[in-house]
Amino acid sequence: MSKKKDLDPVKSGQDKATSVLHEIMSGDPVRIGLSILLGFLIGAVFMVVFDKNVIKAFEDFGTDPSYALSSIWWTVQDGYGALFAGSVINFGADNFVSAIRPFTETLRFAAPLIMAGLGVALTFRVGLFNIGATGQMLVGLAGATFVSTRLQMPIIIHMLAAVLAAVVCAMIWGMIVGLLKSRTGAHEVIVTIMLNYVALSLFTYLLRQPNLLLEENGGGTPKSDNPDGTARLGLLLGPDFQLHYGLIFAVLAVVFYWWLMEKSTFGFRFRMVGHNPSAARAAGIKVENTFVWALAISAGFSGLAAANQGLSVDGGLTTSIEAGIGFDAITVALLGGSRAGGVVMAGMLFGAFKAGSATMQVAGVSPEVLGVVKALIVLFIAAPPIIRAFYRLPVPGPKVFEAAQQAKAAKVIK
Amino acid sequence: MNKVSRKAVAGVAMAAASLLVLSGCASPKPGAGFIECGVSDEGSWADKSFNESVMDGMEKAAEEFGVTLNSAESNSSEDFAPNLDAMVEAKCDVIFAVGFNLVDAVNAAAEANPTLNFVTIDGYSTGPTNLKPVGYAMEESSYLAGYAAAYYSTTKVVSVYGGIQIDAVTAFMDGFYYGAKAYETETGTPVTVLGWDPVAKTGDFIGGFAPNAPEGKTIAAGHLSAGADVLVPVGGDQFGALQEAIEESGFDAKMIGVDKNISVTSPEYAPITLTSIEKRMASAVYDIVKELAVDKVAFSGKEYRGTLANGGTDISVTEFIDADLTAKLAELKAGIIDGSIDPLS
Repeated sequence: MSKKKDLDPVKSGQDKATSVLHEIMSGDPVRIGLSILLGFLIGAVFMVVFDKNVIKAFEDFGTDPSYALSSIWWTVQDGYGALFAGSVINFGADNFVSAIRPFTETLRFAAPLIMAGLGVALTFRVGLFNIGATGQMLVGLAGATFVSTRLQMPIIIHMLAAVLAAVVCAMIWGMIVGLLKSRTGAHEVIVTIMLNYVALSLFTYLLRQPNLLLEENGGGTPKSDNPDGTARLGLLLGPDFQLHYGLIFAVLAVVFYWWLMEKSTFGFRFRMVGHNPSAARAAGIKVENTFVWALAISAGFSGLAAANQGLSVDGGLTTSIEAGIGFDAITVALLGGSRAGGVVMAGMLFGAFKAGSATMQVAGVSPEVLGVVKALIVLFIAAPPIIRAFYRLPVPGPKVFEAAQQAKAAKVIK
Repeated sequence: MNKVSRKAVAGVAMAAASLLVLSGCASPKPGAGFIECGVSDEGSWADKSFNESVMDGMEKAAEEFGVTLNSAESNSSEDFAPNLDAMVEAKCDVIFAVGFNLVDAVNAAAEANPTLNFVTIDGYSTGPTNLKPVGYAMEESSYLAGYAAAYYSTTKVVSVYGGIQIDAVTAFMDGFYYGAKAYETETGTPVTVLGWDPVAKTGDFIGGFAPNAPEGKTIAAGHLSAGADVLVPVGGDQFGALQEAIEESGFDAKMIGVDKNISVTSPEYAPITLTSIEKRMASAVYDIVKELAVDKVAFSGKEYRGTLANGGTDISVTEFIDADLTAKLAELKAGIIDGSIDPLS
């Protein structure tokens, strides 16, 4: 490869582009860890600069400089301390239940992020960008809501039917993208983004229809009833905790994803197409069909996330129940290096952000700070050179890259 | 937690010290130690509309009485319960839940925490006595706005559309409709009201309170092309989207603000704002905090209802309301207060 590079500058440019892409997708744990750390550090800067107490303390800098400086530390400690207390363990709680409730909340918020994140991760492994988890979730929500509010079935069966409806509806929506890509060559990024808008309008339309999803005695507001009691995801740890059976589905999804991608022949085909579509085609793999299946299964995971949202809702369901999970899923997949274990960790981190957001706001930190931290983490992961420059990490030279490729190839052959 | 309280002690000491330094000698503020808390509806505290009104009231109370202010924004409906839980954990003395959307969550929280005090703005209590509903007779002031809109309109087509079809929103729309129709009855000039039919209870709704929703702009554009030249969006901060719709239509149309006097809070809208239907939540919130924190009155779950009579609601004065209209509006207002005019017919 290095010889070619010397001879053909165009080729070498291409190699560089693929190597950067591989580097972004490779999910090197050290680099990801450092990206998260740097994200939190810069988040802390925002926290300090916009904190009223710090600003006040610095106005009196002349009279008490040590207080001004220590106020910086206290602000950061309070802010991230509140994030910890709101998402892991609240040591200041009166009783055991409220002390550990934050962690169960993190799990509750993490479950849909993990499920949708796995969906996006799957497409990354096939070399596709599925930006459409939002739309796939909305279509899945439509299916789950119809089954859970309009059909009557025995308990548990009703719930499973609603979950299945969400998965099937989402898969159909994902399959449309796959078919458009494989039959017409339309780029999946554009198609998925556009279908997000179509799905939003479609879902809103369905929510307005009295004989489909609109709540009983509802008016002009697009809003559904609560899911029937028989279709609800029951509480997992009793009435003191909000955590529900969605978590079980998330665990099953993770196990399934791991088996599918690492153990099954189906997953082998997916990965092979992801590594090199031309080689895969030469090896007799139907690349176009693989795209369709990958996008459909990916959307199926988003459908599970949709079921998690739609079957646990109180007070009726509107489009806002999607809660930005579809977009966060992209970050979760990226952060998790598209591996099952990584996606779980990334989903937990983002779940903790959601769970801890309220306590952080009570501590006086604006919710946007967490948004900034999230965005920065993505930025650093998508731009490896920034992280390398900041931490003075060595540039992975052609030798390092080659060795990595060889190791990978050896793994594939194994 | 230890460290947090250490900081709090340091902070209080520092604040006290700096007060002594800056203002010579000051007595501690009357509400020190009291914690007021607020959870917003979807949309931010800076929505130029109902969330912001409540925040204004809380901030004013914090400044004047020295009470501690905790707040949490809800980005989507799944944030309501966790945000209220966070306030319960923070041991707030009074917790304001802003908006009808939180009514289920706040009733559940009030029931689960009978020792804490809750206030629901635009909501109701399903039983808990530690939950105080704050409501407004918005049909009264909206009736005046409807009359003013019909009076001002040259096309005699006026428009109203809402965020979500709930009583807190349709109260505006009902009043606006009947106010505009009162002008028709009085002058004999037919007036068309687009976007709401109070008898059939059908109309145009955005589907949420997200700021400047594109759905709202679409509705406004439709009404503008149907000839409307005075429009009221009853759904939080929809004014930017409406302004765009008006500019893009090229028509000389005006809008009417809701909740706050938007000619003052957003001067950029003043040239196209006929008036605003004010829902003075800031003063209700301020009064509730004052009662609890300063006057030390025991909390009561009794409903507060803002009306034209008690000044809880009214419409704003602007340059576009001429002397004739001002006189007429004063007459209508007196009629509503003494009961001779029913704003819902």
